[in-house]
Amino acid sequence: MTVAITHTVSLQGTLGHLIDVQADVSSGQVALNLVGRPDASLNEAKERCRMAVLNSGVDWPSAKRITILLSPSDLKKRGTHFDLAIAVAVVAASADKPLAGLAGTVMIGELTLTGGLRSVPGVLPMVLAAQARGHRRVIVPEPQAREAAMVPGMEVLGFRSLGQVLAELAGEEVPDAPPVAPMSAQRLLSWRGQDRQEESDLADLKGMQDARFAVEVAAAGGHHLMLSGPKGSGKTSLAERISGVLPDLGTEEMLELTALHSLAGALEPGDDLIRRPPFSAPHHSSSKAALLGGGSGRVRPGELSRAHGGVLFLDEFPLLASDVIEALRQPLESGEVTIARGDETATFPARAMVVLAANPCPCGDFSLRQHLNRCTCREAARRDYRRKLTGPMLDRVDILRHVEPLTKPEARDPLAKRESSADVRQRVTAARSRQASRFEGRGWRLNAQVPGPQLVAEWRLTDAATRRLEDELYAGRVTFRGVVRVHRLAWTLADLRNVDQPGLDELETALRLRSGEPLLAATLERAG
Amino acid sequence: MSAAQDALARVALNQVVEPGRFRLLDRVSARGAVDVRDELLAMSGESADHQLVAQRLRAVDPAAVLERAHRMGLRWVVPGDPEWPSGLDDLEHVEPLHDRSGVPLGLWVKGPLRLDALARSVAVVGSRSSTAYGTHVAREIACEVVDKGWGVVSGAAFGIDQAAHRGALAGEGPTVAVLACGADRIYPKDHETLFRLLAQQGAIVSEAAPGWAPMRVRFLARNRLIAALTRGTVVVEAAARSGALTTSTWADRLSRPVMGVPGAVTNPLAQGVHQLLRRGGSLVTSGAEVLEHLGAAGEHVTTEQRGPDRPRDLLSPVDRQVLEAVPLSRPASLESVARLAALETGVVKGALESLAGQGMVVHTARGWRQGAASSDRPLPFLDSRG
Repeated sequence: MTVAITHTVSLQGTLGHLIDVQADVSSGQVALNLVGRPDASLNEAKERCRMAVLNSGVDWPSAKRITILLSPSDLKKRGTHFDLAIAVAVVAASADKPLAGLAGTVMIGELTLTGGLRSVPGVLPMVLAAQARGHRRVIVPEPQAREAAMVPGMEVLGFRSLGQVLAELAGEEVPDAPPVAPMSAQRLLSWRGQDRQEESDLADLKGMQDARFAVEVAAAGGHHLMLSGPKGSGKTSLAERISGVLPDLGTEEMLELTALHSLAGALEPGDDLIRRPPFSAPHHSSSKAALLGGGSGRVRPGELSRAHGGVLFLDEFPLLASDVIEALRQPLESGEVTIARGDETATFPARAMVVLAANPCPCGDFSLRQHLNRCTCREAARRDYRRKLTGPMLDRVDILRHVEPLTKPEARDPLAKRESSADVRQRVTAARSRQASRFEGRGWRLNAQVPGPQLVAEWRLTDAATRRLEDELYAGRVTFRGVVRVHRLAWTLADLRNVDQPGLDELETALRLRSGEPLLAATLERAG
Repeated sequence: MSAAQDALARVALNQVVEPGRFRLLDRVSARGAVDVRDELLAMSGESADHQLVAQRLRAVDPAAVLERAHRMGLRWVVPGDPEWPSGLDDLEHVEPLHDRSGVPLGLWVKGPLRLDALARSVAVVGSRSSTAYGTHVAREIACEVVDKGWGVVSGAAFGIDQAAHRGALAGEGPTVAVLACGADRIYPKDHETLFRLLAQQGAIVSEAAPGWAPMRVRFLARNRLIAALTRGTVVVEAAARSGALTTSTWADRLSRPVMGVPGAVTNPLAQGVHQLLRRGGSLVTSGAEVLEHLGAAGEHVTTEQRGPDRPRDLLSPVDRQVLEAVPLSRPASLESVARLAALETGVVKGALESLAGQGMVVHTARGWRQGAASSDRPLPFLDSRG
């Protein structure tokens, strides 16, 4: 044997490319060359692999000319998970007899100098890519076997060392090896919402009937939502409970989301598939890279992608840096983030429901009711703050709601129906499954994701409602973009009410939800 | 004629006469119920109509009706009873509206609240298809007035009515629902919980006999009772031809204050209220303002709401004029300030010195400029100014 081929995966965002690692060990000037556009961290693999092989008690062909090609060659490669495939390829190329188990096996893992197999980020998306290319067997570091096994139909082998892998491939008895450390924690941002949302329930909240209804509609159709109101009016408490009314993720979404978390390095060894919709609440000082993805070195998914299928809550939204607000606009429409850097392009899914919260002024104490007004902001500061509220972001938000602080009659209302998150989730789930069956075979699942032209052409409102909406447009009360958003909302309302086509009643409510006008009391009572 | 006989005669008439038939009611007020009943019984031959009434009247067993009503938890309150709300007596000579008027024969009442407690009460009414804003304000107003010891009367309908009762119940204050149907019925059906709470903590009242259905004309007659039971009527949201406006018309005819809560000019549900305000109703925005209208002179006086004081507001006109002439950053000489302020140098000098004492201007080597305290931010609120 002078040539051997092993397989591994290279990731660009969530896109996985299958890589053939070809090693040639032959006579000639002694050298060790790694070709096929490795980056600096990957070039160090040469040293890691050599020492790992020697320290595993296997011969390294030091007196030969070794050429390692990562094919296809034009693809730029980055990361340390190539180590295992490289080391095995070199060993196989210099061995007397071929390694039987090589064919069809994908190898992922970083090597230590002692020959240990270390965890790497992104195992799940890599295994998904391997499966998509028809591979059925994958070797991963032991702590990540569980993660790799989330992919259906894969044979997953988890090992602790290079020695174990070589023994397995040669069909020999696998020796014992010391356990390897799990990946070092790399959480980009704290997930304060994640733990708290488990315990919080809508039933804990008093009042806010109007906003509660808006949350139900937003959750049912996947609409972006903006809550405005003075501080202490319960915007955050309400937002934290939104992911609780969302149904469990579908199989596809679970894999997508878990893969994203794997890429972000946020998956712990014991973690299972993520089944519940995530809730993410990054601070308003977060950078563009933290929110949308990027970062130095490997391109990581941002908070928006980590909230894929769930809720991204941006509290004090006008305090976000202007470039972050600008950058958020496009993903909010398209449901994905594309980061282009040099000749590298990474695309991450980012279909999160975005919930924005804003105070009426920078200090948060402004109120239109003079006796409640405690605002100390300058008029100019208030104007600047509000300018950020309107503008292009607001145009991309389907539902606008104002929240007022709890009043005595609300707090002590003997007739209040404080529904639990589970009650609301039931209706949301029903509405979502109506949408799923309506959009069967299309590229979208929720009303908020339907492209405008298709929506208007295929899923019409009743004639009376269409005429009314046109009147609103020509009267200048709704913009063109607004018409489509109102149309979407009307469909979600129809789905919640189990109505086959949105009519005047649904349209009226949709117009109010969009414009921020108070809802009709009857709408709220009907909602339960 | 004993009071018991009078009450029984009223029950009998109540069983056969539509609420608010003022010709009959006026006759009862003038001559007593027993007399009118006997007269009706005697008129049997005059016309087919009379014959029918007499026939029905003969068929009524008032004692049995009362007995049945008691078993349902209803009591029969008639004029002269200690519990009788005297506000209703003003209906005797009020010009009819939609052919309805007059002091009711009596009231069927369910619930622990005594109706004479309504001497200090207010009607809060409005649209059935209210907005969340309207229900919010109605609840606030109701809660605020019961906090001050007043009662709230409304009609237990959807929208504003239920919000008014809810607000009053939240404030644990007296509240009464006046129905167009029999007081034993629950209408609208969805308000079962509200009716239960009203029967436990307030009262449900009707002029219509037990079992009678809620018919359109009975709502018109009912509205006159809501207006007459209370000191004044607040309309929260009402479209241009809303039924809530008949209640305010009744209040007007009874010379009781009519109040309206304003809304957006573009809101169709505010049109009725705005009309009422244009015709002389009083604009109110809170429970305190409602009570200011209804209380005795000097009672429940509210303080005018105003914007926060700013430091500049407290300056004399001359000082303010001078301050405005002082540059923000680049210092200017006394003469330059005086020129800009168009005042005498001596006056300006005095003003600048007094302003400097308050930190509003600073004297530097190169002249005068504004100081840190010159900002027009509002003063921090003082606790004493609630």
